Amino acid sequence: MSEANLIQQARRGDEVAWAMLVGQYQEAVFRLAYLLLADADEAKDVAQEVFIRAFYALDRFDSSRPLHPWLLSITTNLARNRQRSLGRYLAAVTRWFQTEPEPVMPNPGDEHLRQQEAKTLWQAVQRLSRADQEIIYLRYFLELSVEEAAEAAEIAPGTVKSRLHRALNRLRTTVMEEFPTLQEERIG
Amino acid sequence: MSQETIDLSNSQIEALIIEAANNLPYPPTPDIIGVVKQQLTAKQSHITIQTRHLVWATLIVLFILAGLLVVPQVRAAVVEFLQLGAIRVLLVEPTPTAATPPPTASPKAPPTATPRPSPTPITSLLNLAGQMTFAEAQSRVDFPIRLPAEPSDLGPPDTVFLQDWGGPAVILVWLEPDHRDQVHLSLHQLGANTFVQKVQPKVLRETEVHGERALWTEGPYLLQLRNGGYDVQRLVEGHVLLWQEGEVTYRLESNLSLEEAVRIAESIR
Repeated sequence: MSEANLIQQARRGDEVAWAMLVGQYQEAVFRLAYLLLADADEAKDVAQEVFIRAFYALDRFDSSRPLHPWLLSITTNLARNRQRSLGRYLAAVTRWFQTEPEPVMPNPGDEHLRQQEAKTLWQAVQRLSRADQEIIYLRYFLELSVEEAAEAAEIAPGTVKSRLHRALNRLRTTVMEEFPTLQEERIG
Repeated sequence: MSQETIDLSNSQIEALIIEAANNLPYPPTPDIIGVVKQQLTAKQSHITIQTRHLVWATLIVLFILAGLLVVPQVRAAVVEFLQLGAIRVLLVEPTPTAATPPPTASPKAPPTATPRPSPTPITSLLNLAGQMTFAEAQSRVDFPIRLPAEPSDLGPPDTVFLQDWGGPAVILVWLEPDHRDQVHLSLHQLGANTFVQKVQPKVLRETEVHGERALWTEGPYLLQLRNGGYDVQRLVEGHVLLWQEGEVTYRLESNLSLEEAVRIAESIR
């Protein structure tokens, strides 16, 4: 059954149809929430809320547009709200953890090494502004096209490109200044 | 330091991100489907319960309202008047504190009602001023004064009055053949802007004249109107049929039955 048909059925209150769509997009939604919140439990809560809210907002959804970016757009907004409500002390704890980049293990296996590098790069991304993070996650981590990223971020495709360009420049600076090991690995 | 001597190109930083995106160890995706289904079902049940509560609450309110409407005062307060053309039928005795409706008030104006404190009582239509010939009355009003064709032996009106009740009001009067001091039948033809009130008729029901809405009232009740600058009231003891055609409101007063009155009303030419 096509996505459009499933959406149509879900609009009529068919929870099974909606469950099928949840199954299709739950990983992307959960991962984006996790990237934005850096906490699996928080990400799970947000992902659940995304699908609940989306179900009740289906009447307002323009079915001529793809569902995936719309769900990610809701995810971004909910994660942003949740992060704001976490409280000062949690934010301080997060910042404290972020100031100490995880060291790359000296002689790990290739797989582990790559994962460590990925985590370190993620830490570098987390130093960027919220908008920069969001666009990097959407475009590179979730592998959305420029058009899809534009839908999800609710901005024009041209803005996606310019924002990405600036975000990459800032990330490069961050990596060079604060995560030199990453830089050395790449150059070396 | 190494970062001072080695630089990263745009493509290198992009490659770094893509590689990180591919290798980042995400936590396993939890069972979101199950939880979402559970929550949706719970919410639907909650909504169903809320809806059920709402239905019950609505039924209770309707029940209370229905109960209140049994009380005449409450019913009168809710349904205060009926309006047909220039004539307003008040279903409740107007309160003394209510404002007097302006003489030129539109018939569709909100109900006010109590006329000025000392209305002039009229005991009979025959005591009205403004008596004139049919032709003279016709020349003074901008609507055609019509006459009933039924009953066939009715003939022309014995008396014609022209009144100013906020607008022109022509009253055609037929007298009892054997009692020339008593009214057999009267037909009021009320032009635009006329305003007349009936207060609490004993009987009030809706009927039809030429398939259009009409009202039937039975006295006794007070007829209130403004004649020129004066408030006037008359005790009506007969039966009255009210209907409207175009801008003219007709009022047929008699002791006839509803069926007879409707037949007369539908015969006017």
